[in-house]
Amino acid sequence: MVAMEKQIHTDVLVVGGGIAGIQSALDMADQGFKVIIVERQSSIGGQMIALSKVFPTLDCASCITTPKMSAAAHHPNIQIMVNTEVNALKTVGTGQQVTVTRKATYVDPEKCIGCRLCEYACEIEYPDPFELGLGAIRAIAIPFTNAIPQKAVLNPDYCTTCGLCARACPTDAIDYAQEPQTFTIQADTVIVASGFALNSLQVKPQYNAAQSKNVISPLTMERLLAPHAPYGRVLRPSDGKVPGSIAFVQCAGSRDETIGVPYCSRVCCMYAIKQAMLLSGALPMADITIYYMDIRAFGKGYEQFYQNAKAMGINFVRGKVALIESAPNDDMLLHVEYTEEAVNPCRKQRHDLVVLAQGMLPQWNVSEHSALQRGPDGFVASPDIINPSATNLPGVFAAGTALGPKDIVDTITESGAAAMAARRYLHRQNSDDNQSLPHNTAVVHLMQRTATEAHADQAAQARL
Amino acid sequence: MTTQLHKTLHEDIHLFGGKDVDLCMNCGTCTVICPLAREEGGTFPRRIIRLIQTGQKRLLLKSLDPWLCYYCGDCSENCPRQANPAETMMASRRYLTSQYDWTGLARLFYNSALTEILAIVLVGLFVTALFVFLHGPMVLSTPVELNTFAPVKWVELGDWIMAAVLSFFLLTNAARMIWNTLDGKQMFRISPLIYGKAVPVFFDHMFTQRRSRQCGSARSRAFWLKHLLLVTGYLSMLVLVLILLRWFQTDTIYPIYNPQRLWGYYATIALLYPTGAFMISRWRKKEPIHFFSEASDWIFLVMLFLTALTGIMVSLARVNGFPMATYVIYVIHLSIAVPMLVVEVPFSKWSHLLYRPLALYLVSVKKAAAAIPLKTQPETATA
Repeated sequence: MVAMEKQIHTDVLVVGGGIAGIQSALDMADQGFKVIIVERQSSIGGQMIALSKVFPTLDCASCITTPKMSAAAHHPNIQIMVNTEVNALKTVGTGQQVTVTRKATYVDPEKCIGCRLCEYACEIEYPDPFELGLGAIRAIAIPFTNAIPQKAVLNPDYCTTCGLCARACPTDAIDYAQEPQTFTIQADTVIVASGFALNSLQVKPQYNAAQSKNVISPLTMERLLAPHAPYGRVLRPSDGKVPGSIAFVQCAGSRDETIGVPYCSRVCCMYAIKQAMLLSGALPMADITIYYMDIRAFGKGYEQFYQNAKAMGINFVRGKVALIESAPNDDMLLHVEYTEEAVNPCRKQRHDLVVLAQGMLPQWNVSEHSALQRGPDGFVASPDIINPSATNLPGVFAAGTALGPKDIVDTITESGAAAMAARRYLHRQNSDDNQSLPHNTAVVHLMQRTATEAHADQAAQARL
Repeated sequence: MTTQLHKTLHEDIHLFGGKDVDLCMNCGTCTVICPLAREEGGTFPRRIIRLIQTGQKRLLLKSLDPWLCYYCGDCSENCPRQANPAETMMASRRYLTSQYDWTGLARLFYNSALTEILAIVLVGLFVTALFVFLHGPMVLSTPVELNTFAPVKWVELGDWIMAAVLSFFLLTNAARMIWNTLDGKQMFRISPLIYGKAVPVFFDHMFTQRRSRQCGSARSRAFWLKHLLLVTGYLSMLVLVLILLRWFQTDTIYPIYNPQRLWGYYATIALLYPTGAFMISRWRKKEPIHFFSEASDWIFLVMLFLTALTGIMVSLARVNGFPMATYVIYVIHLSIAVPMLVVEVPFSKWSHLLYRPLALYLVSVKKAAAAIPLKTQPETATA
């Protein structure tokens, strides 16, 4: 089967279906624009859907993300393209021509009804990427419980094409011969919300993460703490022991010139405090220590959150961990200078679980695929300081961690701003063409709608 | 207790080569990475950097920590801010040398290479002039009669005068170091027995530099050996010139296996090889210790190299019977060696020969003194 080239037109193309992309897409779609979200993975929701709680409110992360995901999925103006990657972005006239490729999932998304019969029939399991390897998933499966869309995906790396799933499927959706498809999207404006990746656990060889399974990523800790956690409780990966002494090593992948990440990742202090708080709830007997250089609790309510953590008995030690050695029983020995202690400041502390605060790096190298410029840190550059969501290309905007490390609150704020900037850009283009704004009525309608909603909210508040 | 802060301290250290002090954010990686600090409960390099950043000159003067570091460069390699803690330690050693020195010459020489070179040239010219005007008869027949040209008893006298003057400066500086670091009054409260017992530590470290073998991974294993070779060469030179000159500077040509010639050759090799290797390493920036070179480092190596080179040339010329060449090179040799010793030993890099073992000695004195429990008031029985 030859891949077919398809042409699609849209008002807005959002690159990335994480919380930033979803927010931008919803803000644009609510104003009446046609939006396409292009997502690399099999479900939208990004990194946030995998988190346990958010700081500083300790709200459930998936309780915030899932409604937004389904709002986007059910929105008449939003089309979601999952398993799709952007190949190239080219400015044509005032709009952008974006070529994207939909990877083969070996399941026809039009036919799949998400019944999971294939998943139940499949006999092959592999480490679940959503659980960061803590649990197992079948070779054909819905990516995770609250994934959107609920469409099965087959992993060709593990599938043996035994045919069990094809026989189980009631709608005949399984297509072992599916090929990747390439589309060209004509978008009037593009919002890049491609998010972040973490640098490797092994980026600092001094931390010996390659030798020990118990030196873990903060995202692994999020999964261990999540309400729908793989084990249902906090166990350490090497032997399933309940950890008694947990260390958080801050700045383990950022603010470090020796690994080329001189900037601060801005969220590690806060999520470490949050995880420490959640851990002291999950494991009341555990000793929890956070080794830090400075606690950067700069947002609204963050400092109070930090003070609460201190009051809860979480141990804060000022000093950067310089070395981690293996100790017997899969434990770790942390070498650190207690910089606030006068006598014998260099100490060795033994812990049975260590969380390394990895640094935030850009997920997607935009300049490989477009004329977008990146800053010295590799994130999308925003040349105009008073218009932070604008990029060097007119009509292309960016939001969230594509622009630089930031927390969820800032990401959502910035996504709204990017949508606003994109809307203004479309408005200008249209008035230059001496046309009236085609979506005027929609906007007025929306404003009325939000006013009623605000009124309803106030009424609800009053009732509480 | 009041703390006096010197706001110019970090600018001062900057002058001595500590150019990245302000980059440090005191994370403590350097202290933990340093095998010496980590294993011995040390507090350097971070605390030294902190003292400089906060302008605590008194505490810096009191500290012996800069002398405990042998500069392997591990801290600089691991520093997340690339603030070069190792070089800051080096700069603080230079600074301390200038602070121990009461004449102010050390500061002058460290901060202006020109002044140091000028001083070396002046002393060199003075030595040359002494020979030009006061030399003995030049016998131009073989065997070479060096002792007629430069009678050994006069040269020896000159050596001793120089040694006395230099020792005076060096020892008074060392006394100031002891005074600073033992806090003056505390110095007299420590029992002489403790001072006596720690003396072996001084000689142990002076002759072996044993501690530096624990230094970090960035330093090559050969470094310790090269440095030790240099020390033995230098001490050989001192012994031969100050104590055994009458035996060393002779007109008789002994067979090649005679200890007089063998020792001389050993000293030459022990000086030429390490200084040559260190100069190449500094030029190519091979080892971390050689990444940054101040003028004082170069002058030190070049002068020592030239001293050894001219020394062996004197010997070769004499043994092979070139009288005029022997006399001229002999004068050049002394015109290099004397200013090197005069300028470097009490006022510049060479003083570490004394300061470093002295610091280790003082550390062990302090430790021994601290280990003695304080006299407690006799408990009065209560009814």
